[in-house]
Amino acid sequence: MSSVVQNPRCWTRGQVALAFLVLSAAIASGLAVYSSASSLTGLSQAAFSVLFLPLLLSLVLSFLLDPLVNQMERLCTRTGSIFIVYILTLGLLFLAALWLTPHWQEFWSNMRTDFPRYTAQAIESLKNLMAGLHERFPMIESYAFPTKVRIWAEQLMAAILAQTPQSAMKVGGLMVIVPLFTFFFLRDGRKIMRSCVALAPNRHFEMIRDLSYLISRQLAHFIRGRIIEAIIVGLVITVGLSLTDIRYAPMLGIFAGVTNLIPYIGPIIGMVPGILIAFVDLGAGGQFWWIVILYILIAQVLIDNFILIPVLISRVSNLHPLLVFFAIIVGGKFYGIIGMIIGVPIVSIIKITLLEIRAYRRTFRLPETALEIDRPH
Amino acid sequence: MDPLWTNIFHKKLDEESLAYFLKHLPIFSELSPRSLATLENIVHVRNYKANETVFEESDPGSGMYMIRSGMVKIYAREQNGVEEELARLGPGDFFGETTLTAPAPRTASAKTLENTELVGLFRADILELAERKPAISSSIFLGLTRVVSERLQAASLEIRRLQNQLGEVISPENVET
Repeated sequence: MSSVVQNPRCWTRGQVALAFLVLSAAIASGLAVYSSASSLTGLSQAAFSVLFLPLLLSLVLSFLLDPLVNQMERLCTRTGSIFIVYILTLGLLFLAALWLTPHWQEFWSNMRTDFPRYTAQAIESLKNLMAGLHERFPMIESYAFPTKVRIWAEQLMAAILAQTPQSAMKVGGLMVIVPLFTFFFLRDGRKIMRSCVALAPNRHFEMIRDLSYLISRQLAHFIRGRIIEAIIVGLVITVGLSLTDIRYAPMLGIFAGVTNLIPYIGPIIGMVPGILIAFVDLGAGGQFWWIVILYILIAQVLIDNFILIPVLISRVSNLHPLLVFFAIIVGGKFYGIIGMIIGVPIVSIIKITLLEIRAYRRTFRLPETALEIDRPH
Repeated sequence: MDPLWTNIFHKKLDEESLAYFLKHLPIFSELSPRSLATLENIVHVRNYKANETVFEESDPGSGMYMIRSGMVKIYAREQNGVEEELARLGPGDFFGETTLTAPAPRTASAKTLENTELVGLFRADILELAERKPAISSSIFLGLTRVVSERLQAASLEIRRLQNQLGEVISPENVET
């Protein structure tokens, strides 16, 4: 050791070993942190993709049930009122299932035989149409459009048949997870929100508390409005179709209700199967036109546009059609059909949040920048 | 009476507890223990360091603050930027209660003078409570109204007194000239 003291620039073997160890440990731990960080992001991504759908569904459900639970809470504790609401909801669902099961079974057993028949009929009429077009405009090259439609329809059918058991498993899992999540959101949602807001710094706490309340109220209003609108449209179509001889009226009603959640495009998608089935089964008679009128005039124009949307959903949260298309395309890219349904509400939620913040700023005339404070008014 | 039973039925509030603090504010003095427990769950306890701004004049106001410990200065900022002190508040005092029900910009600024613990009660929390427990929220509103009315009455008496004084000052001069 004495040599070190005499010549500090020369390192002893021990010091070199120590330096080597320290450096390699630093590099190793750096690599470990890096690799664990990248696996951490991977993990969180996987967790997010698993949790996304159940979380979203339970959030929507808790927004939907919250007013009911609040009403019940006047009589008993929060947990008790959640249980009462759950029992009521379960009863309703049970009744709906009782009513739907025979229809569902009939639908499912006929689907395999009927679906090819409907598509064949559609392709036949398409062919006629193409032939007619070709006669009138000979310069159009004969394009194998009907063949394409047939291939597409067969693929769709195969996909539905293959996916059904898989999605049944998924739905079964959701039916367990979603009520559980919803229960905790309903019971502790306010506490969760409070602890999130409590993280805000003192200076901005008051404003953030107020904004969080305004935004969540608007969101609840919007989500509740959308769901109730879809339910009513679905019911109207089910009842309207039941008046005719068309088969699968409940299925078509449910389909129209669910697709009604997507603005602009949804109602059109929702009416395609109904009109197709009506055309094939009933022919272009009075009942067919009644069904077309029911879908377009009664359900969409009269009920939805004139009554439900003005009453349930404020015009403020309406999106520009272009934005709706963007949301649907991007949502479909990320999460398939479910993404298409939830893409638009998510964009609406972002828009509502921005609008609320702007309205809040305007109400209190908050200075946009620090410079404006000094400006004389 | 058996001490066990008095313990069960007359559970005295712990002096350290938030409920005890709230109970001794004039606004909440007539709340039942159950309402106090509910109130405890909707207020926000915030800790401030010395010289921290609670709010500035013209900030959006949405609630009141109660001082649990520490000292708060209420002041107005004049044109030339000088702070004019309006009041100095200590433990047990509260401020900002006028914006609790009516959203309005703050009319003065508030700043802590030492380490301070404030208990905030905001409009959003009371409105949420009104949906779930109307009875409790109405008793809170009643206490609030009482305090605000008392202050309003005192203020109008003060205005009348000042008006009279002003009249006495002006009228002799008018008569003489």
